[in-house]
Amino acid sequence: MKLKNFIMAVIFFMTANYTGLFAQEDEMNSEPGSEPEIEERVEKALLSGYIRNYMGVLTNGDNNYAIIQNTFDTKIEKQTKNVGFKANSVLYHYPEKDIELTLREAYVDMYFKNMDIRIGKQQIIWGKADGVFITDIVSPKDMREFLLPDFEEIRIGVTGVKSDLYWEDHTLQFIWLPVFSGTRPPEINSIWRPEASFPVMPVFHEDNEKVENSLKNSEAFAKYSLMTSQIDFELMGGYTWDDDPVMHVYKTINPVTKQITALDVYPEYHRLAAAGGSFTFTLGPFVLRGEGAYYSGKYFNSTASELKDSVIEKNYVNYMTGVDFTIWDIKNSTQFIQKIILDHTSDLNDDKFQNLATYLISRDFLNETLNIQFFVYYDIDNKSSLMRPKITYKYADGFDILLAANIFTGSQGKFGQYNDNDMVYSKISYHF
Amino acid sequence: MKILKYIAVLFIAAVITQTAMANSLTGYQIIEKAVNRPAPKTQKATLTMTLVSSSGSKRVREIDQFTNDDSKVEKKIMFFQKPADVRGTSFMNFSYSGDKADDQWIYLPALKKVKRISSDSKGDYFMGSDFTYDDLGDRNPKDDNHEILREETLNGEECYVVSSTPKDKDYMYSKTITWVIKNKWIGLKKIFYDENGDLLKTLNVIDYKNIDGYWIQTIVKMINEKTKHETIMNLSNIKVNDSVPNSYFSERIMKRGIK
Repeated sequence: MKLKNFIMAVIFFMTANYTGLFAQEDEMNSEPGSEPEIEERVEKALLSGYIRNYMGVLTNGDNNYAIIQNTFDTKIEKQTKNVGFKANSVLYHYPEKDIELTLREAYVDMYFKNMDIRIGKQQIIWGKADGVFITDIVSPKDMREFLLPDFEEIRIGVTGVKSDLYWEDHTLQFIWLPVFSGTRPPEINSIWRPEASFPVMPVFHEDNEKVENSLKNSEAFAKYSLMTSQIDFELMGGYTWDDDPVMHVYKTINPVTKQITALDVYPEYHRLAAAGGSFTFTLGPFVLRGEGAYYSGKYFNSTASELKDSVIEKNYVNYMTGVDFTIWDIKNSTQFIQKIILDHTSDLNDDKFQNLATYLISRDFLNETLNIQFFVYYDIDNKSSLMRPKITYKYADGFDILLAANIFTGSQGKFGQYNDNDMVYSKISYHF
Repeated sequence: MKILKYIAVLFIAAVITQTAMANSLTGYQIIEKAVNRPAPKTQKATLTMTLVSSSGSKRVREIDQFTNDDSKVEKKIMFFQKPADVRGTSFMNFSYSGDKADDQWIYLPALKKVKRISSDSKGDYFMGSDFTYDDLGDRNPKDDNHEILREETLNGEECYVVSSTPKDKDYMYSKTITWVIKNKWIGLKKIFYDENGDLLKTLNVIDYKNIDGYWIQTIVKMINEKTKHETIMNLSNIKVNDSVPNSYFSERIMKRGIK
C-alpha cells in the first residue's frame, strides 16, 4: 500500500511537470525584458523542496547507527490575489523500514480585504519562545526522535480552519480543529522511548488511547496579536486536548503480602484549557522576550494511596523569559523556563517547580558560508543537559553540509535519561 | 581677435565661477546634498546580489523589495527569492528620521513565525555580502566630519572628492572617501578604511539611471580589498512612486508575500 502511494506521488509529480503546472525559475527569468513583475512572481505554481541524507552514529557501545534516513521534501504552492494553496509532502526512506510518505501540510487559502481563511492540514506556530512549547499548543509534536529534528519536522500539521482578521496593527485569529491529533511518541523499541519504571511489568490497554472524531471533541483556539514599533505581543486562549495521554495506572495488590502483583495501564487523553500570552521588545542592543500560560485540567501521576488510578487533576503555570543580543559578531540567545504546579502535593511524581534554561551562541564566517553554533538545554533540577554543537558549510547555493553532535549529560530527568544516546551526525541537503 | 578675447574672458569667468561654487560648498554640504537628493516616495525593485569569492566561485541572492518613505519613517520590506533554502524568508525594517533606532523583524518560513530582531548591529554584513547594514542605509551626515579633498573627473563625470571621518571613534570605519557627481549629487565611488586606517573596501557604481526624474544607482560593486571577496548588486524592475500602501508593511504580508 505504501509502495502504491509512492508510485502515485511520483506519477503526480511527473504529470504535473509535463502539463506545465509548475513555473520553473529558468523559464520565469530566461529572457531579458520578459521578467515577471514582482507581484506576478507568485501567480504560477512553484515547486520547491529538498533532498537530504541524514546519518547518525551513537558514540557509546558498539557505535550503532542512531539513524540513516533519506528525505525527499516537496512543496507545491500557488497564490493569486484572492486564493492560494500549498501542499507539502515528505518521503522518508530508511534502509531497514518501509518508505514513509506523509502529508505535512495541504491547505487552501482565501484572501479578503481584511481577512484570510486557511482550510486544511496546516502547521500553526504560536509564541515567542525558541525550542520550548508554552503557548504553542495548536500543532502537536512528532517526538519519535525526541527534540532532535528540525522544528519544521517536529510539528505535526493539524486539520482545521484558521481565520485571521486584520485592522491596523491588530490581528485576531480563530482556529477550529474538528479532528484531534496528539503527540506522536517514539516507537516501542526506539532509543528515544522515555524511560518508565514500574514495580512489575505493566499491561497496557490502549483502547482508550484515542479521541473519537466528533463535533463535541473538536478543539478551538483564539489569539489576539499586536505588532507595533514599541512592542509585539500576543494573548491566546484554547479549549483543547492534552496532546499527551495520561497513564491511568490500576494496581492489583496481594492482600496478604501487600505487594503489587499486577499493573494495568490505561492511556487516556483529557481535555485541557489554556490562556496566556507573549511579548517581545527591544532595549538598546537587547531583544527581550517573555511568554506564559495558565493551564487548567492537566492530569499528573501520583503515588497517593487513595487514588485508584494514580492520577490527579491539577492546574499549572508555565512561563519563559529570554534575551537575545549580539556581541563581537556572536549571536547569543538565552531563556529561562519555569513550570509551576499549583496546589502541589508531595505525592505527585512531578516536582512543584521545574526549571529549565537554554543558551544559543552562533557565529557566521566566510561571508556566511560557514556557521558554527552551540545550543544547550539545561535541566536545572536534575543537572542534566542536551548539548548540540553544529557546523554548517554552504558548499554551494542551496547545498548545505552539516556536521553536528548531540551530547546528553546527567543521569536522570528529561535529558539525563538519554545519556547513552550521545551521537555524531551529518546532514547533507540540496534545496531546489 | 575680439571674438577670441571674448571667448577667453567667458572661459575664465566660467572657471572662476565653477571654482567659486565649489569653494562655496563645504564637504558637509556636498554629502548632505548626496544623502538628501530627491528620492521617490515609494519604490519597488528586484535586487540581485552576486557574491564572488577570491577563487571565483559565485553565489546569487535575489530579493524583491518594496519601500515607502513618508519623510518621518522609511518602511522597507524584502522577500527573499533565491537561493532556494532561504526562499520565503522576509525582512522588514522601519527607519526613523530622528534618533530612534530602527525596528526590524524577520520571518523564517521554517519556524513559521515573525521574530523581532535588534537593529543595533549595523556593522553586521547583509546576507553574506560585503555590504554592512550601515553601508546600505543613509548615514546621517552629522555623524561625520567632512572635508573636500579635490575635484576630479571619474568615468567621465566631474566629481567632488570628500573625506569623511566619524565623530564616534568606535565606528567600524576610521575614514571614508566619497566621489560625488557634481549637479547629480549621486555617489560614484567610495573607499572605506578600517579601524587601523588600512584600506578595507572599495565601492564602485557601475551604472546609474534617471528613473522618472530620480537618480538611482542600479549596479554597484563592493570589493573587500583584504579578502578579495566581492559583491555585485543589481537593481532591476524598478518602479518609483507606484502604489506601495502601508498595509504592505505588516506581519500578514511578511508571512504571505505580496500578490
